[in-house]
Amino acid sequence: MIGRRLLQILPVIVLATFVVFGLLQLVPGDIAVTLAGENATDARIAQIRQAYGLDQPFFVQYGKWLWNAAHLDLSRSYLSNEPVLDQILHRFPTTLLIVSLSLTISLVVGIPLGIVAATRPGSRLDTFVTSFASLGVALPNFWLAMILVATFALNWNIFPATGAVALSKDPSKALLHAALPAFALAAGGIAEVARQLRSALIEILSSQYVRTLHAKGLSPTAILWKHGLKNVSVTLLTVVGLLVNRLLGATVVVEAVFAIPGMGSLIVHAAIHKDFPVVQGVVLSMVVIVICMNLLIDILYAVLDPRVGRA
Amino acid sequence: MTELDRRAFLAVLAAGATVSGTANAAPRKGGVLRVSAWTNPTTLDPTTGSGGSDHIFLYTMFDSLVAFDYATLEPKPGLALSWSYPDPLTFVLNLRPGIVFHDDTSCDADAVKFNLDRIREDPRSNVKPDLATVASVAVTGPLQVTLKLSQPDTALPLILSDRAGMMCSPTAVKALGKDHDRKPVGAGPWKFVSWADSEKIVVTRHEKYWDPKRPYLDGVEFSVIQEVNTGLRSVIAGQNDLVYYLSPQQKPIVDRSKNLVSVTGPTLYCIQLYINFGRKPMNDVRVRQAINYAIDREEFNKATMAGLSEPATLSLPKSHWAHDAEMAKAYPYDPAKAKKLLGDAGYPDGLDVNIAVYSDQRSQQRLEVLIEQFRKIGIRVTSYAGTIPQQTNAFFAEKKGDLYLSAWTGRPDPSQTYKLMFGAGSFYNASRIETVPEIGPALLETRGYEDIPSRKKAFSKLQKIVTENALVVPLVFQFELDAHTQKVKDFRPNLLGKCKFEDVWLEA
Repeated sequence: MIGRRLLQILPVIVLATFVVFGLLQLVPGDIAVTLAGENATDARIAQIRQAYGLDQPFFVQYGKWLWNAAHLDLSRSYLSNEPVLDQILHRFPTTLLIVSLSLTISLVVGIPLGIVAATRPGSRLDTFVTSFASLGVALPNFWLAMILVATFALNWNIFPATGAVALSKDPSKALLHAALPAFALAAGGIAEVARQLRSALIEILSSQYVRTLHAKGLSPTAILWKHGLKNVSVTLLTVVGLLVNRLLGATVVVEAVFAIPGMGSLIVHAAIHKDFPVVQGVVLSMVVIVICMNLLIDILYAVLDPRVGRA
Repeated sequence: MTELDRRAFLAVLAAGATVSGTANAAPRKGGVLRVSAWTNPTTLDPTTGSGGSDHIFLYTMFDSLVAFDYATLEPKPGLALSWSYPDPLTFVLNLRPGIVFHDDTSCDADAVKFNLDRIREDPRSNVKPDLATVASVAVTGPLQVTLKLSQPDTALPLILSDRAGMMCSPTAVKALGKDHDRKPVGAGPWKFVSWADSEKIVVTRHEKYWDPKRPYLDGVEFSVIQEVNTGLRSVIAGQNDLVYYLSPQQKPIVDRSKNLVSVTGPTLYCIQLYINFGRKPMNDVRVRQAINYAIDREEFNKATMAGLSEPATLSLPKSHWAHDAEMAKAYPYDPAKAKKLLGDAGYPDGLDVNIAVYSDQRSQQRLEVLIEQFRKIGIRVTSYAGTIPQQTNAFFAEKKGDLYLSAWTGRPDPSQTYKLMFGAGSFYNASRIETVPEIGPALLETRGYEDIPSRKKAFSKLQKIVTENALVVPLVFQFELDAHTQKVKDFRPNLLGKCKFEDVWLEA
């Protein structure tokens, strides 16, 4: 299964980078004008276009990039002349920290909420959790981010308002910097985990085999932990998979609010200036991450539910 | 008030703005200034870089041959102690003795020649047009360089206060090649330490700086925070000490924060409508004049800049040495006259114009005000929006649209401004043609005199041609707005609008 999955990665990468490259070509603008800058002259712009190969046909440009990428060379940024791989490796840990922290918060808060709601369907507590979850899904994370900054960073000075610190440099400072963005992102995550878990758990707890378990005298706690949660774990895994992909995307906005030098700000800046090697590099790495994540989830499915592996 | 009085007065005002609160305290050495920068530099090599926003970083590491007066932009000694024109085609620079680059290479005549030749010949040079009139550079003494010119060019001193005058260590440039873009070595007050792209730039004291009193700061740390709102928050929260390039709309936020000081001053940065005057309907001078009469610049300033800017009818602000006060009165708000001019031009029922504009909120707001003012004289507006790189390319390279709502960032020598916007073949002249034949000779004349009063006269003539032919629609000169914490002292804005930290010190 793993081998087959890995084979699927290649066409997806080619397709995704090709589409992104094509879209970038459709967007008006010319990076040669940006690079020529304040002293631009027509001659200088033409010279830059030639130097960077921007005057070559679409397929030649894309083909060159793909050929280099296949040899693990992601080229250099047009704007900064830095190797794209270096930029990605430098920034990815920052984004990863925020995403993992946010995922952890989503699970740690979302799972208990879901269980509490599912075991007392229709109660006040359940109503509270479902309303809270709806709110969490509805709140735009950039708005929440602003509110969190205004309250916790500007008024109370508990957390830093901007920036990031590498985990390897100073773990406690890194977590402190990542906390607010992670919370802002986690609001949606908590809500999603709680809602999905609640509905899946309610369905399982009202199924016939659970009734049988009750009948043979198993305690409700044992039913919940041994049978209920084990059966919803597949649903939960699906939610986690989708959540990680969504969080990776959502960091683009939240990174801007907190001025975090991560993957999101990297691709936004590059896309605006048509710095196509950087855009392609980030898209490529995101595709790889998402596919690996999906692969991991698939493997875990097979572990949790033996029927999946046999199919 | 005479021109000089007024300028002196403005200078005092500018100085007073920051001295307040300092209470005669003497500058002290020490401390690192943390600055929130809204953009990542294009490169840190003055010759290969291209962004007008790079200077704030470059100024820390590179001293230029000529420096400039903060308030008026008049030239003053920098790495060069003096300069002269023995004849109109010869320019002699005499260097300050004892200057060393950060790598201990001596900054002598040989180094200066190396730099000027590199600017003129290196295929990666982005500054070539600035030295277009230089035919050759010769070392005529250990500390003397002589430039032979192909035509008289008295703009050179101020041109050498910009990128072209920022000296890099020849040793470093030769050894590093392209990598000097990212590991610059200059002779400025601070030397390069590190640059993490779009994240952080760090510089630290150059121990062998030629002025023993300066710099006061041990170093400067720039954090790149592209959103200025976020940048301002970082200063309010105490993570940074200073943020620049704020918008007028942020002034109330700065004023509300008790720990912050706001700094403001005029700049050359002119928000304006570029005109593609090469084709219909903008090739008719009456249409261009009508547009200039149709704009209520006071109202525009109030509505879009919170009243914090200087209404503009010329491309040079009031405090600039070459500003012509008489010409500045050329286009009062007069919708009736504008309508009549449109009628005379053959558009009694109004006309449609297409405006290129940036997609950000502030630019859209400016466009809305203009649409409303244009509506009153019968000009109907269609517009297309995009990012700055997109629109600059669309209007100047692809020649899309009649007008471009953008800005001119200003240049140290005003002749550069006029040449780049109205000269034949210039990129920022979308038509590429010289619509008015008198422009060429008038431009040459501005570079024909050495002394400021004569140059000022030549500029008056040029400003008259540009204004009477309405080749551009200046709207307002943006006032710089910066904010810093109380402990930052002696931070003064300059007319170029590109911050320098040479006088800044931090309270203990």
